[in-house]
Amino acid sequence: MSLLCIESAAEYCGRELTWGNLMRQWTRREDERLLTGGGRYVADMAVPGCLDAVFVRSEVAHGVLREVDCAAAREVAGVAGAWSAADVPDLPDTPYTLMARLATEEAVAGREWPVLVKDRVRYPGEAVAVVVGEDRYRAEDGAAEVVVRIDPLPAVVTPSAAAEDSVRLFDDLSNIAFEGETGEPIEDAVWRDAAAVVEARYRQQLLMPTPMECRTILALPEGDRLTVWSGHQAPHRLRAELAAVLGWPVDRVRVIVPDTGGAFGSKSAIFPEYVAVAYLALKLRRPVRWIEDRMESMLTATRGRGQDQRVRLAADADGHLLAYELAIDADVGAYPHLAGAMPLQTARMATGVYRTPRVHATVRSVLTNTMVTYPYRGAGRPEATIALERTMDALARRLRLDPAELRRRNFVAPESFPYRTPTGRVYDSGDYAAALELALETLDYAGWRTEQSRRRHDPAALPLGIGLSCYVERSGGEAGVLHEYGSVEAHEDGTIVARCGSASSGQGHETTFPAFVARELGVDQRRVRLVEGDTDEVPDGVGSFASRSAQVAGAALRQACGMLIEEARVRAAELWELPVAEVVWSDGTVSPRTGGTAAMDLGELVKATGPLQAENRYESGMGFPFGTHAAVAEVDPELGTVHVLRLVAVDDCGVVLNPMLVKGQAFGSAVQGLGQALYEGIPFDDDGLPRLAHGLLDYLVPTAAEIPPITLKETYTPTPNTPLGAKGAGESGCIGTPAAIVNAVADALRLTDADVLQMPLTPDVVWRAANLREAG
Amino acid sequence: MKLAAFDYAAPRTVPEAVAVLADGGRDVRVLAGGQSLLLEMRLHRLSPDLVVDINGVGGLDRLDVNDGTAEVGALVRHDVFDSPRAVPGPLGTLLALAAPNIAHPPIRARGTMVGSLAWAHPASEWCAIAMALDAVIRLRGPEGVREVPVRDWFLGPFTTARRPGELLLSVRLPLLDAHTGVGFLEHRRTHFSFAQVGVAVALAVRDGVVEEARIGLANCADRPVRAYAAERELNGTEVGHSFVRAGRVAAEQDAAPLAEPYADVEYRRQVIAVLVARTLRQAAEGAPQ
Repeated sequence: MSLLCIESAAEYCGRELTWGNLMRQWTRREDERLLTGGGRYVADMAVPGCLDAVFVRSEVAHGVLREVDCAAAREVAGVAGAWSAADVPDLPDTPYTLMARLATEEAVAGREWPVLVKDRVRYPGEAVAVVVGEDRYRAEDGAAEVVVRIDPLPAVVTPSAAAEDSVRLFDDLSNIAFEGETGEPIEDAVWRDAAAVVEARYRQQLLMPTPMECRTILALPEGDRLTVWSGHQAPHRLRAELAAVLGWPVDRVRVIVPDTGGAFGSKSAIFPEYVAVAYLALKLRRPVRWIEDRMESMLTATRGRGQDQRVRLAADADGHLLAYELAIDADVGAYPHLAGAMPLQTARMATGVYRTPRVHATVRSVLTNTMVTYPYRGAGRPEATIALERTMDALARRLRLDPAELRRRNFVAPESFPYRTPTGRVYDSGDYAAALELALETLDYAGWRTEQSRRRHDPAALPLGIGLSCYVERSGGEAGVLHEYGSVEAHEDGTIVARCGSASSGQGHETTFPAFVARELGVDQRRVRLVEGDTDEVPDGVGSFASRSAQVAGAALRQACGMLIEEARVRAAELWELPVAEVVWSDGTVSPRTGGTAAMDLGELVKATGPLQAENRYESGMGFPFGTHAAVAEVDPELGTVHVLRLVAVDDCGVVLNPMLVKGQAFGSAVQGLGQALYEGIPFDDDGLPRLAHGLLDYLVPTAAEIPPITLKETYTPTPNTPLGAKGAGESGCIGTPAAIVNAVADALRLTDADVLQMPLTPDVVWRAANLREAG
Repeated sequence: MKLAAFDYAAPRTVPEAVAVLADGGRDVRVLAGGQSLLLEMRLHRLSPDLVVDINGVGGLDRLDVNDGTAEVGALVRHDVFDSPRAVPGPLGTLLALAAPNIAHPPIRARGTMVGSLAWAHPASEWCAIAMALDAVIRLRGPEGVREVPVRDWFLGPFTTARRPGELLLSVRLPLLDAHTGVGFLEHRRTHFSFAQVGVAVALAVRDGVVEEARIGLANCADRPVRAYAAERELNGTEVGHSFVRAGRVAAEQDAAPLAEPYADVEYRRQVIAVLVARTLRQAAEGAPQ
């Protein structure tokens, strides 16, 4: 076990980390480059002769395509070509996700996703033509000349409405593209006989992942190969999917991921635009790139969340949970190709942290006239946590129980692990009560309750509420993507190259993994160089998503280090004609146990015995990180504004490789959780068009000025499912924070009807809720 | 998105600028700070044939104080007013209360007060203040110089009384006398976003009585609004007495709010009423007792 990292994790346990402290301690290998303009993103690649692709996009949400005429565009100076679907009959369709059952063959059957619209527009911004030019300016000038005629059809933008099938996206098929369930249906008697049953409806609004860098791809044909640069989370997956689209063996495609400006889930797939760029590069025998801009991204990048939920929760008079039912109508957007089955994740995690004996969750994945939904930081787990935790607070109010006490009475106990949930998960380990108690203590829960009751007797004081949210999530991935590639190679000059199948989109792998490998081998970390994000350099890989890199790739590298050490001992034993047991490994050197011959460094050993590499494919179990987030919020009932006064996040992600990076992830994800709770949402007009004319002025993400005081703490429960004991970190805030904030607002307003507070809690929503309180 | 092609002129004097602007028949736009123009051009909502960049025109960056007024030239940037001492007296205080609400520092370093008046965004802070204080806009066109009182300036959203070929030279604001307390408050969803409602108040107070109230409203109609009805409720009344009522009058009579996402008409009226009352209190607290 790598003692160093555990010591440093323990050192950080219990230390209060404020933003200021975090900044002072925050040093990553890549930051000097990234923060001083030295980053090299796809848009920075200077490839001679490269053409810029621009897509002509539908300005209606749903409609019949009558005409696309690119003739005038082709006459524009600097335009190298312009095509509609009719112009390129051999342009392949967008493939569906083969990975991890995110999409299913049944769901996509009969539903083709063309790269360019052939006859029917199904989401606003869907591409109807593509123009390439010497640069983006000229390509846009060309795109402006493309004539498009679309006869609009009625649009549906919520899953509940679309499920009625009164407007169909595919004429002969229902909008319901996928159905699934977890657990067993619950008999009526259970609800009838329960002392308390609360019911509620929640809207998990559609969100935009909003990475700083939008999507990027550059394709360069060379000989019989295609080299592709893309800001991407899963280069090997992109290679496989591009090769399949082109009908090529995978080794003819090389995918390179340079610096990537964030992803949050939105960059792990293949998209229509990527197919078009690869196709055109080969057709024109020229490099072609597509650099998505912000306005384009806001229309056509994947969205997250998007669920209409109905819940029922039953308890006995003492507050012991009896049954929980969650019915989900999930928005999967216009095509089920990327993640039609992803909402099942919510159903699987519906049980949460409680030992509820009966849990039943159903999913209908419904097509709507919006861009496709896809994993966004949290990916199905926030929706499960928010539904359950909001309902727990509603139940506590019903039973007149303290919400912390209600939770204590129902946690899965630490001795119950591994715990098989009614919804089909096997939780590895946990101490849910410990996380709750640490959160309460850190927040000064009792102190805030006192302040709350003082304010309730002071008519001039603003109402104040406290919200709790206890979560358990799943990290590592689903069956089929729980493995990762890792190798370490020692060179004659003493350097060590670590290769890993993951790909950083900003998480700091360059800092984490070399330091980790150096610790495992006992060498200076400056000797270790990380190679990832290049399919020619790394033979195999899965990628960076599902909070899996430390958990899975870390374990793969750790095992590879162990294999390298063993091989080094075997070689030294041969060299010295000793039994292997007589060779000792220490701090990057081999030496004979009994002395005599001098110790030999790895580099010298390679010189003496030839190339030395250990390759490993590690298969992980799932990890189930957990924690409790707690918020204190004050409400101005006249204006409906919410001031989050305190936010405490207690997370348990097991063994931590780099505490500072984990803290950074926890902080960032908590801010995104705050975004879902209070700010982010896509308003639609009556024609189903997003009202986002001013870009990020219309879709508000929290900025530095909105960030409340956040205190991060951790408990420490290593997962027994991996040799490293690390569980996923980095999605916790998106999962745990939203319900804590919404519950705090509901508590401030003492709302009995949970339905009136639907996210985002914009001031108008909160003002209306506050009025209901006064009326009641 | 990228800007479409356009012609560009960079005159060095006001007469030169006016001559270039008189390019009849073409869509000509003046570039000062570029705060709104460049964004609109990037989004292709504006695609002018000719952009006249006045940043090199001498003399337009002057801020002159005399005869009880402050005259702000067309190139005076927003961030000049971050300091309450940029302009003497309560006017300086009011401008400094409002300035931090405009976008954020990099934009405030480029954008201009006169540019805001020319663009006439209904949510503009400066437009609301100009309405409250009866500012006067000075223009020069082919026929010479003319002045337009601001109450005749705003004709609709992004629409003003500017005639084709005219260049805004400056705006003149009255320095407020020492009996005046000022207030400025905005309600918005994040620090980054446009105001859902903004309120500017100048309250002249003598012996505890409101002598003259001036209230300008941002984003409370399709154009900047002067809350005359609310002012009438206040004038001659004891300080603090009619603030809540004035807020309701402003919301019901002076404002004509439009629905937008996250703020329907009912909610906006509520915010206007609350914010006007609060801004009046802020101004009263700053008035000499």
